[in-house]
Amino acid sequence: MTTSTEPATPREPLIRIVGLKKSYVLGDVTVHALRGVDVEIASGTFGTVVGASGSGKSTFMNILGLLDRPSGGQYFLEGEDVSGFDRDRRAILRNRKIGFVFQNFNLLPRTSALENVELPLLYNGKAHSAEERHRKALGLLEAVGLGQRAHHTPNQLSGGQQQRVAIARALVNDPEILLADEPTGNLDSRTSVEIMEILQRLNREKGITIILITHEHDIAEYGHRVITFRDGRVVSDQPVANRRAAAAELAALPALEEEEATA
Amino acid sequence: MRIQNVLRIALKAIRRNKIRSALTMLGVIIGVASVIAMIALGSGARASIDQQIQSQGTNVIFVSSGSWGRPGGGAVRGGAGTVTTLTLDDAKAVSEVPGVTRISPMVRGRAQVIAGDQNWNTSVEGGNEDYLSIRNWSLVSGENFTARDVLVAEKVCVLGDTVARNVFPDQDPVGQIIRVKNLPFRVLGVLGPKGQGQFGQDQDDLIIAPYTTIQKKLLGITYIQQVYVSASNSDDVERVAVQITRLMRQRHRITNPDEDDFTVRTVEEMAATRVQMANTMTALLMSVASVSLLVGGIGIMNIMLVSVTERTREIGLRMAVGARTRDILRQFLAEAVSLSVVGGAAGIVLGVFVSESLTWRLGWPTLITTGSILVAFAFAGAVGIFFGYYPARKAANLDPIEALRYE
Repeated sequence: MTTSTEPATPREPLIRIVGLKKSYVLGDVTVHALRGVDVEIASGTFGTVVGASGSGKSTFMNILGLLDRPSGGQYFLEGEDVSGFDRDRRAILRNRKIGFVFQNFNLLPRTSALENVELPLLYNGKAHSAEERHRKALGLLEAVGLGQRAHHTPNQLSGGQQQRVAIARALVNDPEILLADEPTGNLDSRTSVEIMEILQRLNREKGITIILITHEHDIAEYGHRVITFRDGRVVSDQPVANRRAAAAELAALPALEEEEATA
Repeated sequence: MRIQNVLRIALKAIRRNKIRSALTMLGVIIGVASVIAMIALGSGARASIDQQIQSQGTNVIFVSSGSWGRPGGGAVRGGAGTVTTLTLDDAKAVSEVPGVTRISPMVRGRAQVIAGDQNWNTSVEGGNEDYLSIRNWSLVSGENFTARDVLVAEKVCVLGDTVARNVFPDQDPVGQIIRVKNLPFRVLGVLGPKGQGQFGQDQDDLIIAPYTTIQKKLLGITYIQQVYVSASNSDDVERVAVQITRLMRQRHRITNPDEDDFTVRTVEEMAATRVQMANTMTALLMSVASVSLLVGGIGIMNIMLVSVTERTREIGLRMAVGARTRDILRQFLAEAVSLSVVGGAAGIVLGVFVSESLTWRLGWPTLITTGSILVAFAFAGAVGIFFGYYPARKAANLDPIEALRYE
């Protein structure tokens, strides 16, 4: 979809955020969650956002993911100022350009992995046939190693498997950006590395821009770049010197039985 | 989102909570079933009144001789039919009124009738050869008397079903002799049964003979008591009745309507009170039934609100992956309407069953029309939309971030 009024110049980054502010009124107290944030993220970046709880990183992610609107400042997505978009225009953009991966997976209960992955296809305004949807969803489940479990429901899958279903779902509309909010927060360390391996591979092979929010610094080191938030401001924005490679770490880990026990 | 996907998701959600959905639907089922049954009862009552009106004959107007004496005149007054001023000439004049197709002069009396060792007390009616066709009355055997029989006052008659069965229990009455007040009448035919009349009387308990015979040989009178008039079509009945009234006043030289020595009434007028009663009853029963449908709708609203709360996270997720306000609105509206429409369909089946049972077990007349089924079904759908809208709106207006975080 290209509704942009001004075409993106070659120099225009995928995401450009200028003077972003967000404040909430809680009772008679105004909470300033973001106090003026300027960030540019180029296409193909694997960026991580770290910060303590209350630092404003979650608010930042919600605005980045078009779930929320800023109180001030501008957000250019592919050169288009989307900060004033209404609910429905944001919904359309979320559907087509952004994939979400959450800490608690957020899969629909009692619904097969396949149908969970198909969900965003129902809202993209294209008349897919049921076979097209199944084919596309199954292809993505195979890509995350769950082709055999397409008809399992979330309660028949382990945490790692559920998160892989969520990643497949995030990819089904071929988004430019994948937003991962603490994707390994509920997973053990080996499974965390497995998830990071998938994310690194997607970023490397498909060029998907990934923005990952975490409070664990070792997880942040899987990205190209770490943006640190404190008290509603970016306090540091630096490239990662020694980037971790999840694939190599996995190879080095002692072999585990291939089938994970289902939760 | 495409409509089949909306419906698929709605039906899936309904199937997920089978017992809850079934109980929610039960409200609509009972509501729709009672609406159907009540409409069926109302239509049945009206249809049976219509049928009784029809049994009087089509487009029939009665001209009856009135009472003597005047209202408020102070003198002793007679009852209806006590004046002797209605004559055969009046009947002939009435037959010439435009719009009148046929008439029959009428005289009546009661008599003991005897045949063989059986006897029976019945009403003896005298009419002309057109009387049976005015009343749409057909013979099951034999034939009607002729104009010639009327002219010469022949002692012939046709028997009503009740009389035929009681006086000739074991044999065919046609061709037999029946004695009416000791006068022998030849039975020419037997009438088909008409059943109960407007006021519950047995319409088949009678003998019909030429009015001339009854006048001269049974009652010894020269006047007539009533004229049965058939108008050419139903729209004309009122107009023809007015014209007959005018004609009669002219013939009897009456200027003050209070002094009428006759009455002109249509069958519809005679049934009007009963039709009105049936309509009032239908309206009453319908409003009770509508209340139960309303309660069913509130049940849907209640369960949809619970469902929206329970599925807040699901709604948040659907919004995050691109569901717009109207997608969520449609999804929950489709769920509510599916509940009410499926409940409505089941309610129609139950309503038809209840109506049929009322007829079988209690003998109440019921009539189920396609119209009433469509009305009930549309009503059920409307209840779904009306009571589903608020919860759906509530779901669609949720904030995606808060919905995703909802525990």
